[in-house]
Amino acid sequence: MKKLLSLVLALAMCLTLVSFASAETVEEVIAQAQNMTLEELFQKAIEESNGKRFDAVGNSSRGKSVLPIFVEELQKINPGYTLDYEGGWQQPKENKIFDQLTEDVNGANHVMSMTLIQDGNQIQSKMLDTGLLLNFVPKDWQEAEGVAKEGNETPLALQTLNKVFMFNNLGEKTYTNMWDFVRDGEAPLFMGVNSELVGKNFLYMMTNDKYATIAKEAYEVWEGRNPEDDALIEDMKLDAEDLGLTGENVQYGLAWVYLWCEKYNEETDDGPICNTLVTTSAKDQAGLLVYSKLRSVEETAESSVNNITVAAYQDGYVGIGGYAYKHYLMLTKTSPLPWTSCALIAYMTTTQDGFKAWGKDMGGYAPVPACMQDHSHDGGDEFPAKNDRGYDWWINEGKLVVEEPAYCASVSGTMSDWIDGIVAGK
Amino acid sequence: MTTATTREAGGFRRTWNRFRTYISKPQNAILLALGIILTITTIFPMYTIVRDTVRLHPGSIDTQEKALNNQVDALGTTLTTYNWTNLFTDTITTRVERERVTRSVASIYLWTPLLNSVLISIFACFGAILYGGVFAYLVTRTNLKFKKYLSSIFIFPYIMPQWTLAVMWQNLFNSNAVTGGNDGLFVALFNTYMPKWWCEGLFPVSVVLAIHYAPFAYILIGGIFRNMDANLEEAATILNTPRYKTFFRVTLPLVKPAILSTVLLVFSSAMGSYPIPHYLGLTTLSTQYVGMSSNRAGQASILAVIMMLFGFLILIVNQRTTSGRKNFTTVTGKSGQSSVVNLGSVGKYVCSILFVLLTLFTGILPIILFAVETFLPNPGDYSFLTHGIVGHTTTKWWVTSENVTENGMYGQKGILYNADIWNAFGGTFLVAICCALVAGTIGTLIGYCVSKNRRSKWASYVNNMAFLPYLMPSLAVGVAFFIFGSGVGIYNTFLLLILAGTVKYIPFASRSALNSMMQLSGEIEEAAIIQDIPWWKRMTRIIIPIQKTSIISGFLLPFMTCLRELTLFMLLCGQGKIITTMLGYFDEMGLYAFSSGINLILIVLILLFNTLVNKLTGASIDSGIGGGD
Repeated sequence: MKKLLSLVLALAMCLTLVSFASAETVEEVIAQAQNMTLEELFQKAIEESNGKRFDAVGNSSRGKSVLPIFVEELQKINPGYTLDYEGGWQQPKENKIFDQLTEDVNGANHVMSMTLIQDGNQIQSKMLDTGLLLNFVPKDWQEAEGVAKEGNETPLALQTLNKVFMFNNLGEKTYTNMWDFVRDGEAPLFMGVNSELVGKNFLYMMTNDKYATIAKEAYEVWEGRNPEDDALIEDMKLDAEDLGLTGENVQYGLAWVYLWCEKYNEETDDGPICNTLVTTSAKDQAGLLVYSKLRSVEETAESSVNNITVAAYQDGYVGIGGYAYKHYLMLTKTSPLPWTSCALIAYMTTTQDGFKAWGKDMGGYAPVPACMQDHSHDGGDEFPAKNDRGYDWWINEGKLVVEEPAYCASVSGTMSDWIDGIVAGK
Repeated sequence: MTTATTREAGGFRRTWNRFRTYISKPQNAILLALGIILTITTIFPMYTIVRDTVRLHPGSIDTQEKALNNQVDALGTTLTTYNWTNLFTDTITTRVERERVTRSVASIYLWTPLLNSVLISIFACFGAILYGGVFAYLVTRTNLKFKKYLSSIFIFPYIMPQWTLAVMWQNLFNSNAVTGGNDGLFVALFNTYMPKWWCEGLFPVSVVLAIHYAPFAYILIGGIFRNMDANLEEAATILNTPRYKTFFRVTLPLVKPAILSTVLLVFSSAMGSYPIPHYLGLTTLSTQYVGMSSNRAGQASILAVIMMLFGFLILIVNQRTTSGRKNFTTVTGKSGQSSVVNLGSVGKYVCSILFVLLTLFTGILPIILFAVETFLPNPGDYSFLTHGIVGHTTTKWWVTSENVTENGMYGQKGILYNADIWNAFGGTFLVAICCALVAGTIGTLIGYCVSKNRRSKWASYVNNMAFLPYLMPSLAVGVAFFIFGSGVGIYNTFLLLILAGTVKYIPFASRSALNSMMQLSGEIEEAAIIQDIPWWKRMTRIIIPIQKTSIISGFLLPFMTCLRELTLFMLLCGQGKIITTMLGYFDEMGLYAFSSGINLILIVLILLFNTLVNKLTGASIDSGIGGGD
């Protein structure tokens, strides 16, 4: 009896050791997955998650619409494959996604496998610097034709979205320079800097010398230029010093940020901004909003897409045409289903079907061109504002200010208070 | 040694016997158990908030400024006083009207929001008491016409999610010339531009809150007016006292406890309100908390602590001012007589029409606008009205059966086909039913046990512990349960929502039950005890049947309140979990057709349910907090 017991115990110990030895960390899975094709990842996902529960958290609710298509893809390989994802794609409110991920990784019960997340500043400081989220770059993505790697690789971007300056064109005012949006008497519609934090990141990025220089060049040819603004820009050198900003033309960027914060008219979301701007009564009103919102307008006697002009689409427009932020895809450090997460991320970032939930909208651009749908003729001749000129045009001609997580995180400590002080003093 | 041991053993046995005797009474055992449970569920979440103020938060200012290693503190184990010292002693150099200014951190993040929170709470109290109190007097003590209709319609703003009135206010009064953006309905129809103070900030927030909480005042003050002994007023009349003097010297002092109750309840509720200030552009502690939570997470928790302190303060004020009474919401003894003041043959119609018009604005108009909104092609686009084009209406918000991204649907199916919306409704009902059952049962037991131990300090403690969460601003309770729930891994679960809702709404049931139990003579139960009837039988066959109306009200109020609660739940779950977070999402996105449709369904369901319960049991929403009658 004793011998039997010893044998059973020894067997149990061996099994435990084997299972410990074969358990891979998420980092190890990623290291292997980065050298695999999409088909190989699908195979791994089937082995790992068949019949299991999948949970993820995202800023975009569209993530949940990819899951059934993803499962269908896996079922083409293994018809018996199932994945329990009902209610598994969560979308927390009020910036709680970072707290939720932190608690999930640091807690005893790890539920979240991956995330689709925005706000480069917080991602850098709360998720990457702390090692709570891990980056995975699919092999097929690396090798895709024409892939835009710069700024999209670490962390891996699902898409770049643009928010652009628009104005209601039924009034008398013209907006041909980025400084026109901050001249006296303006109150452009904009989401609050503390409710939509990518908007605050845009303001941080304006102090980056690349964009501050664009602001300087625009200011120098601005017809509305005046001595008070000249003095303000000069005075901003003091603020730049306080804030630890060292760029050559940073005072121009800071001055523009100051004037913008002092003047913008806060709205709860881009939806209401769009609904407002397209109406006949919103004469001479400007705003900075997600470009894709124009698709939501139904033509009536009161509302029309033709009542607005996209500022950067005008001939001779000078300065930035808006800003760009990104949706990033990453795995949690404690992902319960890392292979499945890697397969899903690869599917979303390298195939048109995987990106379809986002690709159907104008103003959202995948780094891999093959994933994209053409939106350059969405409005035709009837609604030219809806003809999307594409990522390259917006970056080079439209001069979008592109979010950089590391830069945002490096200046947010001081800039955030400076901006909050201006907004509170309005 | 042996003697000492024997003495000790004897002492222990005596204590144990005393404890056994104490615990053998069901009311004592229940009180003990509930006291321990409520202490944990109320105090522990509060402790987590306080602890959060001294934790380091990676990516937040406490780690950035201190240059602490985020890697080390990813678990948030290092403690610091930085958040307190920075908030209360540090300064920030910024710009106001182009000039460089140095301001204290507190002046930017704390003092102004705190002042605004206190002011809206005061104004909301004043407005709610004035509007609700006058209405209560007219309905209960005068020959006002259309009482039944007015009484029902008056509580509509309390049934509706509170921010719907705020959104309606915006849609009515905003204008391109004053607030920027497009013109609201008021300008479109009457070409009248309201000033900015009317459209945004302190004034509209206070007015909307006052309208929302006026039913509170009506229920509480009305309860006393309805049961007031008319002998005192009649004595004053016999002594030839002028009517105004009778009102101010006799009537008003009698309703003072109810007014105080209203002040305490409305003050804490208004202080914790998030959506109304959010929509109407006022920075309060609640909106500031949400705004600060990314970069100043620890300091946001300090704001929550301050909101909690207001709750404690209100509890102390409540204790002091009601120390001479059994409890502050209870009505005075029932009177066999009540007098009706004659408003005059014209006056009764004038007053009625005035209130019909007012309730039309606060109760009927929002419902009409909700209904109309669901047929507009674009949110707020009244082309069919302003241009007389009937074709500019649509049923797409209701009947679209496919995922459509064009024409404003944002990939959502119409309300009738939208599984997300109906699932969220299901989630809301699950939470509301569970909260009502648990809170109602616990509250009823507390009411019963406290009434049986009126002089016991422990009973008083349990009673206060049960009431405390109600005096805490909803956002502070939400924050506490968010930190607590995230820590124990139950974030975004129905369990967390039910737990928070139960703790927050036990007071509805406990107050209602306590008031009714106080009216119950001890002899009734004693007779059953003599006959050796077991406790559960005494409860189910005697106590509950006698006071069933008040007890059911104690179940009904948590249910109704849960259905339309946002502030408490918004930090505890994702946006599709329950209908109010989904409603808030649609409102924020500007998809007013969806939010209006949901609102309509919600209101109709609440009214149907209220009517059903009223028909079946005689209980209704307006017989709850006031203690029933």
